[in-house]
Amino acid sequence: MMTGERSLGLLLFEMTFLVLLGPLVTGIIQKIKARIQCRQGAGVLQPYRDLAKLFRKGTVQADTASGLFRLIPVLVLAATVAAGALIPVVRAGPPSFPLGDALLLLGLLALARFLTAVGALDAGGAFGGMGASREMTLAPLVEPVLMMVVFSTAVAAGTTELGALAAQRGTSWVLAWHAADFLGFAAMLVLLPAETGRIPVDNPDTHLELTMLHEGMLLEHSGPGLGCMLLASHTRQIVTLGLVSALFFPIGPANGADAAGLLLGVGAFAAKILVLASYLALVESSYAKLRLFRVPQFLGIGFVCALTALALRIL
Amino acid sequence: MSAETVRTIIDDLGALLLFTMILILAAGQIYRAIYAVAAQSLLIAIAAAVLATATGNTDLWVIAGITLTVKTIVLPWVLHRVVRRMNVRREVEPVIPVAATLALAVMVVVMSFHLSATLGPVNQAITGNALPVGIALTLLGVLVMATGKTALNQMVGLFASENGIFFTAMAVTQGMPLIIEIGVILDVILAVLVMAIMVLRVRSTVDADIAGLDRLKG
Repeated sequence: MMTGERSLGLLLFEMTFLVLLGPLVTGIIQKIKARIQCRQGAGVLQPYRDLAKLFRKGTVQADTASGLFRLIPVLVLAATVAAGALIPVVRAGPPSFPLGDALLLLGLLALARFLTAVGALDAGGAFGGMGASREMTLAPLVEPVLMMVVFSTAVAAGTTELGALAAQRGTSWVLAWHAADFLGFAAMLVLLPAETGRIPVDNPDTHLELTMLHEGMLLEHSGPGLGCMLLASHTRQIVTLGLVSALFFPIGPANGADAAGLLLGVGAFAAKILVLASYLALVESSYAKLRLFRVPQFLGIGFVCALTALALRIL
Repeated sequence: MSAETVRTIIDDLGALLLFTMILILAAGQIYRAIYAVAAQSLLIAIAAAVLATATGNTDLWVIAGITLTVKTIVLPWVLHRVVRRMNVRREVEPVIPVAATLALAVMVVVMSFHLSATLGPVNQAITGNALPVGIALTLLGVLVMATGKTALNQMVGLFASENGIFFTAMAVTQGMPLIIEIGVILDVILAVLVMAIMVLRVRSTVDADIAGLDRLKG
């Protein structure tokens, strides 16, 4: 078991790694989806090309938008990337200086969500307002459940700091799974599509008014601003997947100080993310988008699972 | 296997049983509820096999076999056939909204944990979470029966409730006398078969919606 602290340099490397890898995960999910649907599909690097194109373009802005609107994409990206710094990637262990825990991570993600909605409302578009109102309706159903899942594992470890929590669980994760972990993980599987904005809760491919939640809020953004928002949602996705792997599969090399350990840690993390991404792609290909009024029922399964996991842990 | 390992495995199976129960409660289509209840019976069979290897009780092997064949394969198949034959609407129409059912389910789970904690000496004799999980499963099965409108839903509920009783009995007594267990299984088989035939017969004359039974009172 490793208990070594993670230095500032390692944390910065992990954060950069997450941000750089975010679009690739989206690309892989798109590719798997295309293959399942018997299509060739765009290359896995397509999200990078999209981002590069957007960052070269100029910005068009609605007349009704205030000065805050221009700042929104940068703020959202900053909040999401900051959340990424709290995820242990290469190896477990607490950071060597006080940084923050899973609660701060969820808070930063909630802040990013709030800022996105504010931006959509600020531009004054009808679609943006619609998307924002729907996103804000679903957020209170997702965030508390996510918090309960975190608590249900944190209670056992005695800490909410993700690195320390992962170290606590050790490397033999599947043998160490307590009964509550099964239910917590089941809740997480229900929440993942909601948190990453995918079917059956949201549809990431269209701006149609019937399906849009997250995409509807991005309609008014353009050029580098839209690029920032897209990069933020790629990062949010990989951060959420990273959170799952830190909570439930904290496998990694024992002593990641040297280059070989670092490489092994990166490989293990990539494998875990790939498995979770394939799960998302499979769900997205095999289910239809739920009616908006059915979504609370779907998320209710996650809520009950998370609460039962807590009950198993505490009572 | 050591007692500790058995306890852990039974605890884990209990968590998975609760998960299948939640799926039954939230199932929007009757097919999904049937598949979930079949998965639940499979978990019960595994639990019986684990306890059989741990205690060396050969009766439990018989129970595991019967559970696997009858409750995991035959009964879900019968229910599946009934659904297909009846050409009913596949959507489940609960009496109260699913969200309310799920909220009730949470209360039931928390309550059964409190309940078994107050049992004191009985609780100490039993390993792990088996008792509260078993009580919760039984009560949640009743909840499924209470909130379902059609006879099919109530069959699924009965089925799930019986699984809960079975799990409790097995984990608490480390294997009851074979004759009792077979009696319990036969009860459920008979109930499901009778209900299946009744539903098919009743269906050919009137609607199988039990809400209509209200008008029968004289």
